[in-house]
Amino acid sequence: MNPAEIPLKAPPNVADISAADVEQVERALIDASTRVPVLMFYTSAIVWLLIGTLLAGFVSFKLHMPDMFSGISFLTWGRIRPAHMNVMVYGWASMAGIGTAIWLMARLCRTTLRHPLLLVAGAAFWNFGVLLGVIGIVMGDSTGYQWLEFPGYASIVLFAAYTLVISWAVLMFRFRRGDTIYITQWYLLGAFLWFPWMYAAAQVMLFITPVQGVMQAAVTWWYGNNLLFLWFGAIGLGTAYYMIPKVIGRPVYSYHLATIGFWSYALFASWTGMQRLVDGPFPAWMITASIAATILTIIPVATVGLNHHMTMRGYFRLLHYSPTLRFTIFGAMCYTAFSALGVVMSLRSVARYLHFTEASIAYSHLGLYGFFTMVMFGSMYYIVPRLVGREWRYASLIKLHFWGSAYGVGLMTLMLLAGGLTQGASMSDPSLPFTESTQSILPYLRGRSLSGILLMGAHFTFAFHFGLMLFGLGRTASVPTFLNPVEAEHGGTET
Amino acid sequence: MKGLFPLFLGIFGTFAFSWVGLTLVPNFQIGHLDPQMDEDGNDAYPVPRSGMAERGRKVYIENGCFYCHSQQVRADYAGSDIDRKWGERRSAPRDYIFDRPAPLGKERLGPDLSNVGKRAPAEDENAPAAASAPSPAASPAPSASAAPSADASPPAEKNANAPGKTATSADSAPAGGQLQPYSAAWHHRHLYSPRSLTLDSNMPAYRFLYEQRRIGGEPSADAIKMNRREAAPEGWEIVPTYDAKCLVAYLMSLDQSHPLKEVKSAAAPPAAPAPDKTAK
Repeated sequence: MNPAEIPLKAPPNVADISAADVEQVERALIDASTRVPVLMFYTSAIVWLLIGTLLAGFVSFKLHMPDMFSGISFLTWGRIRPAHMNVMVYGWASMAGIGTAIWLMARLCRTTLRHPLLLVAGAAFWNFGVLLGVIGIVMGDSTGYQWLEFPGYASIVLFAAYTLVISWAVLMFRFRRGDTIYITQWYLLGAFLWFPWMYAAAQVMLFITPVQGVMQAAVTWWYGNNLLFLWFGAIGLGTAYYMIPKVIGRPVYSYHLATIGFWSYALFASWTGMQRLVDGPFPAWMITASIAATILTIIPVATVGLNHHMTMRGYFRLLHYSPTLRFTIFGAMCYTAFSALGVVMSLRSVARYLHFTEASIAYSHLGLYGFFTMVMFGSMYYIVPRLVGREWRYASLIKLHFWGSAYGVGLMTLMLLAGGLTQGASMSDPSLPFTESTQSILPYLRGRSLSGILLMGAHFTFAFHFGLMLFGLGRTASVPTFLNPVEAEHGGTET
Repeated sequence: MKGLFPLFLGIFGTFAFSWVGLTLVPNFQIGHLDPQMDEDGNDAYPVPRSGMAERGRKVYIENGCFYCHSQQVRADYAGSDIDRKWGERRSAPRDYIFDRPAPLGKERLGPDLSNVGKRAPAEDENAPAAASAPSPAASPAPSASAAPSADASPPAEKNANAPGKTATSADSAPAGGQLQPYSAAWHHRHLYSPRSLTLDSNMPAYRFLYEQRRIGGEPSADAIKMNRREAAPEGWEIVPTYDAKCLVAYLMSLDQSHPLKEVKSAAAPPAAPAPDKTAK
């Protein structure tokens, strides 16, 4: 059945149907129309997540056990690490983000999903592109540009896949009903337009008409930071702006704050990136401009944080029950921490110690995992039951997943930050031999491997639970699965 | 917010601002540099790599060496790079004009390699200038090229530039003699078994770049001489593949010591031939 043909009207002969009922049916129809493409993106994303987690474990252990598999070229650290990063960035995070964005777009444009074939083909091509790229990296075809390691033949496929997704998104906007464009849609529209721009610009400036020497590094970091902020950041924030008010059942605290937050974010976050090249062979103004922009991101971060906090005020007890809310709020808090850490690390006096250390890994994991991935988990806990018509089977598995992920990413961030500090401190003292810095970080790297085990447990738990849902083994119930049994009063609605 | 048009405009405008500001404008400023030459048009620096070194650069990139080894020397006020003798002057954009990608690196789980070729012992053909560099006059501490060998521990302890805690001679001295640090033979052995030369090293071994083969007739000149534990069995030898030789050729070619007009050389004493225009 083509979902586009379903009329979005209540049967005309039923007189006593209320507006709320019509809306509910309408929402159900919209959800149903997104089922195939969204589940396809989600399933692929979760498979990539598992692959990426295993690669991450390998990378982490090999850092303190360097002789492991040293005779096998495709298992060398310098190849598995980019494979891990690219699987997580393009396989897991991007596909999960697109899946959630599709569903949010359809809901917010209040129209059933048209042309699902575009998206299905997009997902298939995307998977193919990531697979091709990862095989390329492992076989020794990496381009050597951070987050753009995929060889040309894979990037082309990935870009073609993306073109299919974006053309669908533009079509959706043409068919949208209602005048108002909700906050989430600003962020999603931004993400959908910024990503192809940055990706195409980076590809052109690095591979088609390559810029000279150090400019390549500048373009790489410009791309990398914008990917983090304006692609993942925008999707993550947009999702949080939808999920938090939706789950607790009250509107966003302030629309004006949201406007300020969005535009200052677009303006300042896009100028960050060069602070990661601090004191490198660049004109100082580039780096200073990015440091200034990083400091200015305090404005959007504070406004968004305040807005979420005021929306949540009085409803924090719902964190006890709703999985979606718990993951989303955890992500939103990590976003604040991530941005604050970014500001501190960008300062030249701090960068003197933390530049070139593992602290930068802590920073990117806090952003990509603590914030983005957790928000995506939250949205999946909300969306998947609406697609498969079943509720999550085990509250205990959700709890296991949450605590595994939360402790995992917390431990990893702390380990790498503390390790980065000791590493930086010994590196900046020229009277100590260099190996002192790599030796001093070893215990922290072992601790990080421990966090990898926690995360692995969490991810496999989640994948198993998701698999149950996919095969129709969820609960048939009219109430969603709560983390803890709900007592008499509970304020929010999960529909 | 009402209406798509202002939203579109804002989304495009903000990002165009960043794109122009952070990539196009700097590209205008530093994206079209030429090699520096003296007044007679000689002594060009930098020069493009070719042959084995160029292929070695690819080996360096495809195995992700740049994830742990940076190739950028920061100015003396920004870090300890110059104190660690990773270079005598800070790196400048001009140093990288022929690099694609420019392997600046983002982490230092291994030492900086900007000048590792220059640290090779003087008799190595790839670094003929190392001995005549102007640095020893100014710095009392022995520089790496002057450090006698991996086995001489007293200078190595004082000198932060030496490759960490060196393995004691009883454990690791190769049968044939001593390896000069950063010589080609040293690099090969280091790539094959990093911890046989630097006990505290954290570098993965790159054994897949080497092959163990039966000695046919005369043993190869470039076979790696290992100590008992890691040595090849009787009648076999460990030889570098072509990729390994290229990689070492690339490492030996890394040298940013040539003075640049736009950068002040920290270690150059005032008396030494100054890198200014009137020198010749």
